Amino acid sequence: MDIYVVLKLVWAGLLCVLLIGLGLMVGMDMGVGTLLRFVGRTDGERRTALNIIGPHWDGNQVWFILGGGAIFAAFPTLYATSFSVFYVVMILLLFSMILRPVAFEYRSKVDARLWRASWDWVFLLSGFLPMFVYGAAFGNILQGVGYHFNWTGQYFQDGSFLAYLLNPFAILCGLMAVSLSVMQGGVMLMIRSDNPIHDRARRYASRAGVLAVVLFLAGGVWVRGIRGFVLEQGDPAMPANPMQGQHVSMQVGAWLNNYAAHPALWLLPVMGVVSMLAGVALVLANRPRVAWWTGLGAWVGTIGTVAASMFPFFMPSTTRPDQSLTIWNSSASQYGLTCMLAVATIFVPLILCYTSWCYYVMRGKVHTADIIKDTHSY
Amino acid sequence: MIILLRFAGLGLALVVALLFAVFVGDQGPWYFAWAVGTVMIILVAAAGAVLFDAQVEQYTPEGEF
Amino acid sequence: MDLINPAVVDLSRFQFALTALYHFMFVPLTLGLTFMLAAMETVYVVTGKQIYKDMALFWGKLFGINFALGVATGLTMEFEFGTNWSMYSRFFGDMFGTPLAIEGLMAFFMESTFVGLMFFGWDRLSKPGHLAITYLVALGSNLSALWILVANASMNMPNGAHFDPETLRMTFDSFVGVVFNPDAQAKFVHTSVAGYVAASMFVMGISAFYLLRKQHREFAARSFRMAALFGIFSTVAVITLGDVLGRLDYEHQPTKIAAIEGLWHTSKPPYEPWIVAALPNDAKQESSYEIGVPFVLTPLITHSFDTPITGMIELEEAAAPRIASGITAVSALRRYEENHQAADLELFRAHQDDMGFGLLATRHAPNQDVTAIEPEQLQNVIEQTKPDILPNVFVTFWSFRLMVFLGMFFFVLFAMASYLSLKNQLERNRLFLKLCMWSIPLPVLATEFGWITAEAGRQPWTVFDRLPTFMSASTHGVSYMLFSLAGFTVLYSIFIAVELYLMFKFARLGPEAHAPHDDHADPAHLSVVAH
Repeated sequence: MDIYVVLKLVWAGLLCVLLIGLGLMVGMDMGVGTLLRFVGRTDGERRTALNIIGPHWDGNQVWFILGGGAIFAAFPTLYATSFSVFYVVMILLLFSMILRPVAFEYRSKVDARLWRASWDWVFLLSGFLPMFVYGAAFGNILQGVGYHFNWTGQYFQDGSFLAYLLNPFAILCGLMAVSLSVMQGGVMLMIRSDNPIHDRARRYASRAGVLAVVLFLAGGVWVRGIRGFVLEQGDPAMPANPMQGQHVSMQVGAWLNNYAAHPALWLLPVMGVVSMLAGVALVLANRPRVAWWTGLGAWVGTIGTVAASMFPFFMPSTTRPDQSLTIWNSSASQYGLTCMLAVATIFVPLILCYTSWCYYVMRGKVHTADIIKDTHSY
Repeated sequence: MIILLRFAGLGLALVVALLFAVFVGDQGPWYFAWAVGTVMIILVAAAGAVLFDAQVEQYTPEGEF
Repeated sequence: MDLINPAVVDLSRFQFALTALYHFMFVPLTLGLTFMLAAMETVYVVTGKQIYKDMALFWGKLFGINFALGVATGLTMEFEFGTNWSMYSRFFGDMFGTPLAIEGLMAFFMESTFVGLMFFGWDRLSKPGHLAITYLVALGSNLSALWILVANASMNMPNGAHFDPETLRMTFDSFVGVVFNPDAQAKFVHTSVAGYVAASMFVMGISAFYLLRKQHREFAARSFRMAALFGIFSTVAVITLGDVLGRLDYEHQPTKIAAIEGLWHTSKPPYEPWIVAALPNDAKQESSYEIGVPFVLTPLITHSFDTPITGMIELEEAAAPRIASGITAVSALRRYEENHQAADLELFRAHQDDMGFGLLATRHAPNQDVTAIEPEQLQNVIEQTKPDILPNVFVTFWSFRLMVFLGMFFFVLFAMASYLSLKNQLERNRLFLKLCMWSIPLPVLATEFGWITAEAGRQPWTVFDRLPTFMSASTHGVSYMLFSLAGFTVLYSIFIAVELYLMFKFARLGPEAHAPHDDHADPAHLSVVAH
C-alpha cells in the first residue's frame, strides 16, 4: 500500500483516539460540572466536588484543544470546513467552554451566596452544553451537511444552522454524549469523595449509564433508516483536493454497509453496550475504580461504532455529495503527516505518563472539612 | 560504583546538552540566546534577593528599604 | 454566484482582532510571572527563608486569576481559524496547523497538567520537586508562545511551504525551515521577553503600592528588588530583539517597514530623518506635520549609512507588473483546474510567484473573477489593485511609535528602580513609587501595540504575498457574525470586570492573608462585604 494512504489511515486512527480521550477526560470533568448542583447540596460539598477534579481539569481540557489542533494539522480541509459549517453551534460551544476555566478559578474566591450560585449555574451550562454539542455534531455529520466548494477551495454553506441544532437524531446523539459524561463524572466523584456526595454520585452515575445504553441502542436502530453515503469512486492515494476525484452516492441505510462487509466490526457496538452495562453494575456494586475503566470501554465502543460505519467519510455533503470530505481528500500532505506522526510518537506517551503521575500525586479522598480550611482550593 | 555511574550519567547529560547547544546555537541563535538569557535573568533576580537579605542584616531591621 | 461579502470579511477581521487583543492582555503576564515565581521559589529552596515561599504563594495566587482568563480566551483563538478563516485554514493549514498541534502536544499539555500540581501540590511534593514543577510550568507556557509565534511568523514570512496546483494550497515541505524561520526566532524572543517586562512591572507596581502604604514592607521590598532586576534585563532584551525584527521586516516585508516608518518616498541616505511624529494620510498618500531626527533612519533600519529604503509609492509602482503576471497565473490555474491541460500548468508555473497579486486583483475584477477581465479593462484593474498592496499607514505608524516610546520609558523606569532598590532608597521617593504603580498596565498596552504593528503591517495579506486577507474569511452571513461578535463582547466585558475586581481585591488584601494557616483567623477578610 502507498505510504501516503497508510499515513492518512494512521492519522484517522489517531483522530479517533483523540476524540475518545476528549470524550473520556473532558467529558468526565464536564459530567462533574453538570452534576455539581445535584451532588452537592451545601457550599462545602460543592467545593469538594470541584476540588476532586480541581488539579486536573486544566490538563484534561487540553484534550479538547489538542483535538482541534490535530484536526487542523492532519486534516486541514476538514477543520476549515466543519468548524465554519457548524458556525453558530461552534460559537455556542466556545462560549460555554470559555466560561468553565473562569468558573473554576473565580467561584470560590468570593464568599457571597449569589456569586457562588451564579457560577454553579455556569458549571451546569458549561458541563452540559459542550458535551451535548459534541454528540450532536456526530449526529449531524451522520446525516450529512449542506455545503460545497468553489474552484479556489472556498466553501459555501447550503443549509441553515437551525437544522443542525434542532433535529431529533442530533438531539439523541447529544443526550447520549451527555449521559456518558455524567456517568464518568459520577464515577470520578465516587472514587474521591465520601458520603453524602459518594452515594448521590452513585445514583446519578447508574441512571446515566442506563440512559446511555438505551440511547445508544435507539440510535443504532434509527441509523438503519437514515440516508447514508457510499464512496463509489475515489483513490485513497489522491492529492488532498476535495474539489475533484470522487464519486459519492446516497442510499438509505448505507451506514451499515461496512458492518455487512466486515461482520467483525460488530464487536465495537457490542463492546460499547457491554461496557456501559458493566459500568452500571460496577457502580451499583461500589467498585468505581473498575467502572472508570469500563467508561473508557464505553467511549471506545461508541466512537469506534460511528467511525466504523462512516469510514472513510468525515463529513458527507448532501448538496454536492462528490465533494464530501473523506479521509482521502481532506488530509494534510505526506510530509506534514509524517512530521506530525514523529512529534506525536514522542509526546503522546510522555503526556500519558505525566498525566497519570499527576493523578498519582493527588490521589486519595477529598474531604469537605479540609477544603473549607484550605484557601488555595477552588 | 554508584558514584561512577552518577558521574557517567552527569557526563552523558553534559555531552547531550553541549551537542544540543551547538545545534541550536547554529540553527537558531536567538533561541539559544533566549535560553541563556532567561537563566541569566532568573539568576540575577535571585542574586538581587540574596543581596537584599545581606543588606538587611547589615542595617537595622527597621531601616528604610 | 458565490461571492465574497466584504462586510463579512471586515466583521471577521474585527472579531479576530478583538479576541486576539483580549487574549493578549493575559498572555504576557503568564509568560513572565511563571519565571518570576520560579525565581522566587528558587531563592526559597536555596535559602530556606519562609518569606520567599510567601512571595511565590501570593504572586502565584494573582497569577492564577490571570491564568484562568488566558486559558479561557486561548480556546477561542484555537477554534477561530476554523470558524472564521476557513479559506485561510484550508489554504495554509497543511503547514500552519502543525505548529499549533505541536503547541498542544508539547507545551500546553505540560503547562496545564503541571499548573494544577503547582497550585495544589505544595504539601504533596518535596521542595525541589515542587520547584521543578514550577519551572516546567514556566517552560511550558513559554514553549506555547514559541509554537504560536512559529505559526505567526510563517504568515509573515512563509518559509518551509510552497503552493501546489494539484491541491490548491500551500504544501508543507520543510519542518526545519518553519521552526528556524528567522522571523519566528526573533518574534518569539521579543514576545516572551516582553512578557517578562509585563510581569516585572506588575510585581513592581503592586509592591510599590505596599511600600507607599507602608504595608508588608519586608515582603514588598524583596519583591520590588527581584522585579526591578528582572525587568531591566528583560527590557534591554526586548529592545535588542525589536531592532532585529525591524531589520527582518526591511529584508522580507518592505511594505510593512515603509508603513511603520511612514516612508512614502524612497529614502535619501544618509540624511533621511527618522520621523518621530506625523499625521499620515492614507487616502492622499502623504504625511503632514512631520517631525524628524535627521541621519537616524538609515543606520537604524539598514545598519549602514548608504542603503536606501524603498518608499511606499515606489513599492506600488513595482507591484504593477506583478499584478499583471498574477492575473495570468490565476487565470491559468483556473483553466487547469477545469481542463487539466499541461499548457495551462506550464503557464501557471511561469507566473506562480505572483499568484497572490492575481488573487489580490479579484476584488476589482468583474464578478470577482479575474478570468473575466477583458484586455481593455486590465490596466484599470491593475491601477485599482496597486494601492491595495499597502497596509493602513496611520495605524501601523502610530502603533509602532507608541510601542517604541513605551519601551524607552520602561528602560528608564527599570533602570531607576534597580538603582534605588539596590541603594535601599525606595521609600524616600514616593513619587517614583507612584509612577511604578500607575505603570502596571503600560507593558500590556505596549505588547498590544506591538501585535497591531506586526499584524496590521502584514495587511493586505494573511499569508504574506500569497493569500489576501479578503479571500481568507469564511463565507458567513452578516447575522452570524453579529451574533458571535455580540456574544464575545458581552462575555469578555463580564470577564474583564470580574478579573479586575478580583485582582484589586486580592492585591489590596496583600500577602498575609495567603500565608498558610493564618488566613481564616479573620473571615471578614475573605468576604465581599469587607470592601
